[in-house]
Amino acid sequence: MGRIVLKDVAKSFGDVHVIPPLNLEIEDGEFVVFVGPSGCGKSTLLRLIAGLEDVSGGVIEIDGEDATGMPPAKRRLAMVFQSYALYPHMTVRKNIAFPLKMAGMDKAEQARRIENAAKVLNLTDYLDRRPGQLSGGQRQRVAIGRAIVREPAAFLFDEPLSNLDAALRVGMRLEISELHERLETTMIYVTHDQVEAMTMADKIVVLQAGRIEQVGSPLELYHTPRNRFVAGFIGSPKMNILEGAEAEKRGGHAIGIRPEHIAPSATTGTWKGVVGVSEHLGSDTFFHVHMDGRREPLTVRAGGEVSLHHGDAIFLTPDEEKIHRFDHEGLRIA
Amino acid sequence: MATQHSRAAARTMISPAVILLLGWMLIPLGLTIYFSFLRYNLLMPGANPFVGFENYAYFFTDPAFWPAVINTLLLVGGVLLITIVGGVLLALLLDQPIWGRGIVRILVIAPFFVMPTVSALVWKNMFFHPVNGLFGQLAKGLGFEPFDFLAQAPLASIILIVSWQWLPFATLILLTALQSLDSEQLEAAEMDGAGALSRFRHIALPHLARAITVVILIQTIFLLSVFAEILVTTNGGPGNASTNLTYLIYAQSLLQFDVGLGSAGGVFAILLANIVAFFLMRMIGKNLDL
Repeated sequence: MGRIVLKDVAKSFGDVHVIPPLNLEIEDGEFVVFVGPSGCGKSTLLRLIAGLEDVSGGVIEIDGEDATGMPPAKRRLAMVFQSYALYPHMTVRKNIAFPLKMAGMDKAEQARRIENAAKVLNLTDYLDRRPGQLSGGQRQRVAIGRAIVREPAAFLFDEPLSNLDAALRVGMRLEISELHERLETTMIYVTHDQVEAMTMADKIVVLQAGRIEQVGSPLELYHTPRNRFVAGFIGSPKMNILEGAEAEKRGGHAIGIRPEHIAPSATTGTWKGVVGVSEHLGSDTFFHVHMDGRREPLTVRAGGEVSLHHGDAIFLTPDEEKIHRFDHEGLRIA
Repeated sequence: MATQHSRAAARTMISPAVILLLGWMLIPLGLTIYFSFLRYNLLMPGANPFVGFENYAYFFTDPAFWPAVINTLLLVGGVLLITIVGGVLLALLLDQPIWGRGIVRILVIAPFFVMPTVSALVWKNMFFHPVNGLFGQLAKGLGFEPFDFLAQAPLASIILIVSWQWLPFATLILLTALQSLDSEQLEAAEMDGAGALSRFRHIALPHLARAITVVILIQTIFLLSVFAEILVTTNGGPGNASTNLTYLIYAQSLLQFDVGLGSAGGVFAILLANIVAFFLMRMIGKNLDL
């Protein structure tokens, strides 16, 4: 069981209020991703839940029990750190056994759990190696192994994939998702990468400057971002934001339209522009279109076969249904 | 750039330094070995005949020989024990975020800058002196008989002085090692349920192992040749109670003017140092193989 409830949790370092009071409920078995730009307080929030930092106010409940003042070891949470934090002088086996040894578990049970974890994570052949002899992905798996042998109420991941190369990151992403499917344990995952958030999460929590901007499923956030920040943060490439005449025509202070909801054409369309940089990915082509009166180019997605080049005139037709409208405060107009 | 030509040039360029260093080492060593086989006493000028191993026989059968060897080992071992245990504890303390940490650190490191003769004199007159010393005054103030450290526990007193000098060194090295410990490792251990003592025992201490071996190695080299502290405080006495090998060699060659005998002692000291170095190197080799 791992239902975690944060009530008015706040954190300040001296006069700096990193996290103003916030409320959040994480259901048992959910995969929750905290996402936001660097310095938004997402790691701090995770460390508050872990007990590695003391809260400045509010209550943290784990399974209905007040855990605010509990030491980290008592909270039955396991954490995977960005640097993996493996113990370099111990073998993989001893690393994984460490939390069990600290809990005073008997040797036979320890061995059984280590075997299981090693099998699940494909580490059986590496049990007698030291972390220094392993690759990045293997170290990551050892760190996860050390977390799962404890059979915790919830797993906490602090940007676990940011030290891996791109190919490995995709692989580990799948492995963690699969692990979640199999264990059905609550997982809280911190990342600054919105692709990781979109692909893995049941529920995404978007944070900015310690405040929760929006909570929802990946598709909810994609289709109905609550404000301009979430709209710009979720989705890749970023949503285009237009202000001024075009926005007022559609009844908002600003409008947002995603690159995939604009149809490009060489002959006719609502808006006219000039092709700047074009990025050919094979399946898709992204055009950066310069329009009169706009400093930032507009990003447009086209199919892989469109043949428009730098300097060509281009006509754009937005899908009016998919336009997001925002008011003066940047909030969504329904 | 590692062509035949550049390698030859490099060899030519470093050869003066190598030759100089080699000569610096080999000539005194050769002369010491040469003198150790001569009857060479400054009080009896004249011929210095070759006498084989006579000097060695005298040196090993000297009643002061075994006490000196034992004192040397006690001195090295005692100071190592105190500085490493104390150094680890002080390093742990100084690693804590406390107010005025910068000043405290300078204070802790200060004794290392005091030269051995001076610190030995300070200890002898300001602390150990039974009449004027601080400890003596303290004992008297509390109604006890003052303890004459240098007369009643000469070797222990010298171990104390030398430890005081070397503690900063150990602390400094161990503190930097402690600061290089990844804080995420400690946090991971905390999450894993390790208490403060377990974290020290299982995470911090293994991390310090390498630094501790370095401290042991460097200190041993210097501690085998402690001399000034003994000369200034006890002169090796009472009797031979605080005579170590270095001091014994000094006494024989410069107090008894027997250069031959002193040289034989010097050669023995070189052998002893090499035996110690051999064991230390093995220990370090094991420890560095992480």
